[in-house]
Amino acid sequence: MSADGNTKIKLQSNDNAFIELDRQVAERSILIKHMLEDLGEAALGQTIPIPNVTEPVLRKVVEWCEHHRNDPPSTADEESDNRKKTTEIEEWDQKFMQVDQEMLFEIILASNYLDIKPLLDVGCKTVANMIKGKSPEEIRKTFNITNDFTPEEEEQIRRENEWAEDR
Amino acid sequence: MPPTPNREDIAATWEYLQVGITKIMINLQDGMDMGTYMGIYTAVHNFCTSQKAVGSSRRYTNAETHPTAESNKTKPSTAHLLGEDLYKKLIEYLNNHLEGLYEQSKAHTDEALLAFYIREWDRYTVAAKYIHHLFRYLNRHWVKREMDEGKKHTYDVYTLHLVQWREFFFLKVSEKVMAAVLKMVEKQRNGETIEHNQIKQVVDSFVSLGLDEHDSTKSTLDVYRYHFERPYLEATKSFYEAESKQFIAENSVVEYMKKAETRLSEEEERVTLFLHMDITGPLRKCCNTALIGDHANILRDEFQVLLDNSREADMQRMYNLLNRINDGLAPLRQKFEAHVRNAGLTAVTKVASDAEKLEPKIYVDALLEIHTQYQTLVKNAFQDEPEFTRSLDNACREFVNRNEICKVGSNKSPELLAKYTDVLLRKSGTGVEEAELDATLTQIMTVFKYIEDKDVFQKFYSRMLARRLVHSNSSSDDAETSMISKLKEACGFEYTNKLQRMFQDMQISKDLNTGFKEHTKGLNLERQPLDSSYSILGTSFWPLTPPNTTFNPPADVQADLDRFSRFYKNKHEGRKLTWLWQLCKGEVKTSYCKNSKTPYTFQVSVYQMAILLLFNEKDAQTYEDIASVTQLTSETMDAAIAILCKAKVLIMKPEGKPGPGKTFHLNYDFKSKKIRVNLNVATKSEQKQEEVETNKTIEEDRKLLLQSAIVRIMKARKNMKHNQLVSETINQIKSRFVPKVSDIKKCIEILLDKEYLERLEDDELGYLA
Repeated sequence: MSADGNTKIKLQSNDNAFIELDRQVAERSILIKHMLEDLGEAALGQTIPIPNVTEPVLRKVVEWCEHHRNDPPSTADEESDNRKKTTEIEEWDQKFMQVDQEMLFEIILASNYLDIKPLLDVGCKTVANMIKGKSPEEIRKTFNITNDFTPEEEEQIRRENEWAEDR
Repeated sequence: MPPTPNREDIAATWEYLQVGITKIMINLQDGMDMGTYMGIYTAVHNFCTSQKAVGSSRRYTNAETHPTAESNKTKPSTAHLLGEDLYKKLIEYLNNHLEGLYEQSKAHTDEALLAFYIREWDRYTVAAKYIHHLFRYLNRHWVKREMDEGKKHTYDVYTLHLVQWREFFFLKVSEKVMAAVLKMVEKQRNGETIEHNQIKQVVDSFVSLGLDEHDSTKSTLDVYRYHFERPYLEATKSFYEAESKQFIAENSVVEYMKKAETRLSEEEERVTLFLHMDITGPLRKCCNTALIGDHANILRDEFQVLLDNSREADMQRMYNLLNRINDGLAPLRQKFEAHVRNAGLTAVTKVASDAEKLEPKIYVDALLEIHTQYQTLVKNAFQDEPEFTRSLDNACREFVNRNEICKVGSNKSPELLAKYTDVLLRKSGTGVEEAELDATLTQIMTVFKYIEDKDVFQKFYSRMLARRLVHSNSSSDDAETSMISKLKEACGFEYTNKLQRMFQDMQISKDLNTGFKEHTKGLNLERQPLDSSYSILGTSFWPLTPPNTTFNPPADVQADLDRFSRFYKNKHEGRKLTWLWQLCKGEVKTSYCKNSKTPYTFQVSVYQMAILLLFNEKDAQTYEDIASVTQLTSETMDAAIAILCKAKVLIMKPEGKPGPGKTFHLNYDFKSKKIRVNLNVATKSEQKQEEVETNKTIEEDRKLLLQSAIVRIMKARKNMKHNQLVSETINQIKSRFVPKVSDIKKCIEILLDKEYLERLEDDELGYLA
């Protein structure tokens, strides 16, 4: 498929910035991969509009894709299971994810939209690591969430999840 | 491209999507731009990620209904995934589309309908693939969740397309489509050319619709089998039933077989051409039944005719056809076996007009000819099939062991075979070439394989081998060795053990004679000793008996013999030497004949030698004198003298038969074309006697063989039921001969008397060590 992996593809963010990249890199997005397959050679010259993603986020996503352009496609279920079980993130990705919270969530949304599973996983793991070991109150503080439970509800939930607490 | 619609408004979103989907369904050939593609994808994504329902579902709604203890089992409440509305809208859309297609399809029949079906199917599946990709967000989240939760009748978008096609279009038109397919196939069967690619596409479509209800990732062939295979097989069946019935009524069986062959290969070709491989088995079965099974009896009835006329190609055809149906060949094998048996019996009867004078070669050749003929047939027509080979073997065994000749004496077959072997192996027998000889011996083994009384063959063979060795008139050592190794291969070491020992004895004797010559030289005898050679033959290995006459050998012979005896006893103390005079022979040189410048040499038996040497003293001897000096019994003497008289070496007066009162004169006028004259020829009566003797020993040997087999079995088993013992004995012995149950019982009685065995309770026998 990627015999012509070096064909240039042009993306257009929703704020009308243009980003050019190799087809191989673009195809880290399953959405783009499928589209290129479906539409065939005839559509190759066209710019691909990405209506849901802004330029800074799209650039960030493309940066990730460039770095991971040669990753083997992950298809096997067991592998994704393994990935799910651990929250470890490889070093480059950790550095990559050192962004402000808003950008982090934008990347997660964009990778979900563009269908880039490994990036989505990295994003979610990053968030998971932010939650890990924190009390509900700390979590609320981290993510700026207002507590909308009534005290009764909170007690109920605490009781139900007693089994999971460290003792 | 219109702006993407409000993500929370299903109506607006669907409105927007529908335009795109319709374009994909109807008008994809005009191409699609990336904007539209991305627009649709984004609309689906946006709708599915809209926040509309989030607020209400985040709550724990089931908290109060579950006791705390079990709460770990309740599913963690998660955000409601949107998509159901979209999914339903899509179904609705597809149904409408398919409804429209169905209406259009009504306008078409036959090939036009096929073309329509295929065109729409292609268009639809391509569209389904697009839509599947465009709705990937729905697939990834809502559909996946529904399926993970085990909801039936929710499929990924592509599968949904197939399901809807099947339910709302396929089921309505499949019969009509099939009718069109079958019409085309029938046209082709009737010799027309058709656009078979269309059928292939229909098949592929039917196969694609086989979705596993339980696991949408798997596919089954159920739909295809029911809607395609079933009617296809039915049509095939009725077509060939009708055709074959008519054809066989109007044509010969051979013609019909040709026709059936063509039809069968055509049907097979059709599978590779445009059908699914799955139909191969059932279709073959269907064709086999209609074309062969239904007419099997008519075919088989023709088999005898084909056999009688040696129609090899047609028999092969019949074999191939009947081989395709269950139990198709068994009746053929029976007929074949009977036919070969009869052919063999007839061939034997033809050569058996005078059983007494029958040449062994003619008999064996007759057997071989039939075997070769039908073995070739088995190979060429019946593919060397093991069952046919077995039928051939059965038939051969029958006609080899139970034919016209065997009526004279049941041992006749092995005897004649052994005799033929002797003819082949004897020096100057037939003058066959070395290579040809080995081939002929191999053929002998072919017949040997069928011989039931292998012990009889062994008996005759060893006697004749003994004679060949003693008279050293074997044609070649290589041929002898080759034959023995062939027998060993067929019957095992024990069978040929004695034969091999006979060869060893001959070798040992050779060395012994060299030693004796040296010894004699060392003695410095006054007179030149006889140029003698001795063969020492182990009593237990050689089928030879001491002479049945007394004999007083000539003095010179006796002297040499005594010398040898001393020499031998010196070497092997305690061994007893018995002289087999009847096998001894020698040469005497004449010095009295007037008519020849070079003296004649007579090759004579030692008896004849003793008689002739008497004439060194005087020219006439009376019968009585000869008898008293030689000590020969009259029977032996008469035979020896008769030959001398017949050759005119001696002249008997008065004429008649040798006996008391006759006088014998040396014939000084003896004449012969040859310088060496062989007078040592066995008479007919001697040969006859030998045969009778051989046959007599067979019965005795069989009893011993049976007894030793019984003892062997009992020694291993300790005790055994009577019946078991009998059948086990038959098993062990049948490679040598076919024992009679009554003989076995007799032998058991003998062993009981000799207290090798004892009777136990309940028909059991026990072994007494």
